[in-house]
Amino acid sequence: MTDTGRLARLVQAAQRGDGLAMAEVLDALTPAVGRWCGPIALQDADDAAQEAMIAILRGLRGLRDPAALFGWARAVAVREAVRVARRTEREQPAELTSLPAPGDPMLAADIQDVLSRLTPEHRAVLMLRDLEGLDERTAAALLRVPAGTVKSRLARARASFRKEWQA
Amino acid sequence: MTWPVADLDAIRRLRALAAAVPGAIVAETVIDAPFDQVWAVAADLEDELPAYLPDVRSFTITSRDGERLEARARGYAGLRACFDVVLRPGWCVMRSRFLLGGMAAFPDGDQTRFAFLGGTHLPAQRATAPALALAGRWAGPKVITRFVDRVHQRGAG
Repeated sequence: MTDTGRLARLVQAAQRGDGLAMAEVLDALTPAVGRWCGPIALQDADDAAQEAMIAILRGLRGLRDPAALFGWARAVAVREAVRVARRTEREQPAELTSLPAPGDPMLAADIQDVLSRLTPEHRAVLMLRDLEGLDERTAAALLRVPAGTVKSRLARARASFRKEWQA
Repeated sequence: MTWPVADLDAIRRLRALAAAVPGAIVAETVIDAPFDQVWAVAADLEDELPAYLPDVRSFTITSRDGERLEARARGYAGLRACFDVVLRPGWCVMRSRFLLGGMAAFPDGDQTRFAFLGGTHLPAQRATAPALALAGRWAGPKVITRFVDRVHQRGAG
């Protein structure tokens, strides 16, 4: 059986309530959930990943096409990550000082810092386009916003990212 | 360019699994022993599981293929169950016809974070009170205490 076929069967077993199959679906999704939630939820990424996985496993019965697991799970995870990030950012407004110097060797830290200056929605758009390679229409459907809104959010996110990066 | 990645550690994964299983309970603790010492007890299902799970008289591995195992459990009340098991360092999930059990651990300095899961993967309307009670005992305080005792006894021995 192909990996895709095996995964589809696991999803079907998990949808029937098989706990071991749920654990195997969880195993298969764990790296991707970490990748999706990290850039959006930042310091709350681990909590967001846990919340996302709970939402995915609880919602699995509603997935009509098991072969669409990853696309469906990505949509759930991104929305959960935005929700968790928004919840925290209301309590802790982003601080907009001390930009990293250009060419700073701590590149990873720079990116984390620049991402933290964007709203969770902007980070979601940037991640969907630049990490996941989605087109604007698909990103819009996933974020449940009109395509034009995604386009403007993306333009703002990229402009903001570039401005912070080159500052 | 390195994008940040979330860490979904073994205990967070066990919590997520429990949240999706009716009646499942997760009990967590920090054990004052290194991960290898803790997981040596957790992974030794045949010898150790009957020592800390009060309902289990014997747990026999009947087949092993990498991290996948099959096992036969016998209880004191005459109950018998066959389990499919996934076992690897820091992660164990066991499924019988009615029950779901699990363990997760990861090192935290010189200590180990550890969690038990007990649940039934029957649909909610079919999850009987005895099955839920049994599942609850699997992640109850007595089991945690007995497990920690076994870790320290094994470390001392």
